[in-house]
Amino acid sequence: MWGQLPYIARLEKAGIPTVLIDLEDQHNMVVQEAMASGVPKVRFMPASRTLPGPRDVDKWIEALFDALTRPLTDEEKQSGFFSPSQERVLFEGTLDEAQDFYQQTRYVPRPVDAELAVYTDGFPIVIPTEERVAKMLKGTSHRPDEIITYQKDRPVRLRVEGNRGDVVKFQPRLWTATVEKVAINAVMAGCKPEHLPVVLAIAETGLTTGTTNFPTQVLVLSGPIVKEIGLNTGCGHLGPGSRVNGPIGRAFQLMALNLGGAIPGVNRMSAHGSPMNNGGMCIGENVDGLPPGWKGLNEEHGFRKDESVMVFMTIGNHGGILGHEFSPGGYRALQKSGHGGIARRLGVKGKPGPHNWLEYLFPKLFSITEGGFTLIMIPEMARHLYDIGFKSKDDVYEWIYKKSFEPLREYRTRSWPDLTTNGWMGREKTSGKLWKELSDDDMVPVVNEPFDNCIIVAGGEEEGCIQLTGGRSGFGDLPSAAYSIDAWR
Amino acid sequence: MADKKYKCLNPVGIQVPVKTYPLAPRLDKIDGKTIHFSICGEPDITIALEKRLRSDYPNINWTTKKTYTPTPIELSEEEMKTTDAVILGVCW
Repeated sequence: MWGQLPYIARLEKAGIPTVLIDLEDQHNMVVQEAMASGVPKVRFMPASRTLPGPRDVDKWIEALFDALTRPLTDEEKQSGFFSPSQERVLFEGTLDEAQDFYQQTRYVPRPVDAELAVYTDGFPIVIPTEERVAKMLKGTSHRPDEIITYQKDRPVRLRVEGNRGDVVKFQPRLWTATVEKVAINAVMAGCKPEHLPVVLAIAETGLTTGTTNFPTQVLVLSGPIVKEIGLNTGCGHLGPGSRVNGPIGRAFQLMALNLGGAIPGVNRMSAHGSPMNNGGMCIGENVDGLPPGWKGLNEEHGFRKDESVMVFMTIGNHGGILGHEFSPGGYRALQKSGHGGIARRLGVKGKPGPHNWLEYLFPKLFSITEGGFTLIMIPEMARHLYDIGFKSKDDVYEWIYKKSFEPLREYRTRSWPDLTTNGWMGREKTSGKLWKELSDDDMVPVVNEPFDNCIIVAGGEEEGCIQLTGGRSGFGDLPSAAYSIDAWR
Repeated sequence: MADKKYKCLNPVGIQVPVKTYPLAPRLDKIDGKTIHFSICGEPDITIALEKRLRSDYPNINWTTKKTYTPTPIELSEEEMKTTDAVILGVCW
């Protein structure tokens, strides 16, 4: 949630009675956050997702005042200590019995109305025996009983700053974990010991899974670690087959469930979920494919070229995968001799390349959604951009940003800006003027900042570029961030 | 080998112990009280609610802080001293 419950708890502890209005399917989340905030009996009532506001209010306005005046029950007057015990050994038996145990399900009522796995992503797991976990722990120098903490100062949630050494509280239940807990999940996901520093860096993210929309958690590795562990950054790198990409991506999703307590329909409220979270999504950068002068993601985020990092991105919150260009042969026809449909659209018919193929993506890329974009392009296409004058990734980011300006009359018809401009109450940053003072013809950017865009050079040799929404702008107002893998070796 | 028994470890995160508090005592009456409406998100609901609160409960001293985002604008410590109750919505 968004800081409401800690605030409500602060008020109640200060002696100010409260009542909050939620939406009916959010009750479990309110109850869980109320407990985590130390006031488990918070009074709340549901608003409707479908009734017009005035009719909805009419249904419960009197109940609001009842909640503020009705004397407390004995239960509501209680104070205490919530400290459930937990066993280190969860199950003892044969491997077959253990598989059945870990694959157990429970019924989750609407808005799910189906059985969901308790400890897994629904697929069989590698059973985390003591022996396997001990072997996994050899992948790090950190002690098994060490609590996962932030390895540097960083923003961790909306309006929440974390300092180096602060305990990481996993979303949404705000649980914590030891290094051993992370190793257990890594075993379950099928990781090898050499993957553990990556998985520990993933744990440091706090494992946010997003909310209502289409959030996909993408883990992008950059630096020496990519070759060291054999990550596939070539053909099919987003698909199945790698003994590295798949298990590491899966580790995020298992940890989100087990360490974060994130359950669809209970506190992970993405209406559709994301197919890219099935098995998880860990990809890497082909550093050898970067044109001269183009920085790797590690350097873009302030690390050295010889440092290994994991960039955590929430892709798809505003849309997902928006496209994959181009037709087989179409791109080659454009660049080799200026033939074909792309050349016709770009007005370069008959002229050999290299041509700026990015032009082909716009303005349609912004037609559905706004915010930064992530472009995953093969090395050849990155080289073409370099050859026509984009001597750095920043040049491309700036070009996309400038391309994103549109008249305010268009921008006002988009869905998200009502929220991201706080109801048009603040100032538009490029002009410095109040939103309400701008004219319909004033031009405003659809992309908030050039660096919200992100380029990942990877993939095979068939010319293609995938456009993902989300870029580096992250979830809510929290930017995507890079986490040191080396800190967890 | 298939019959060998293994100790299998617990992957679930650790609940940090939480000290729990009672709710604040409720109001004995609402007339004459200062009640704060913390408006966050869902204007279809909050606009209608604010209108009803002010029209149907004129004897309450209403204060509001409004944001279009779901994260509420919090009362300061000073403001809390003069606030008798808080309604917050919509929470999601």
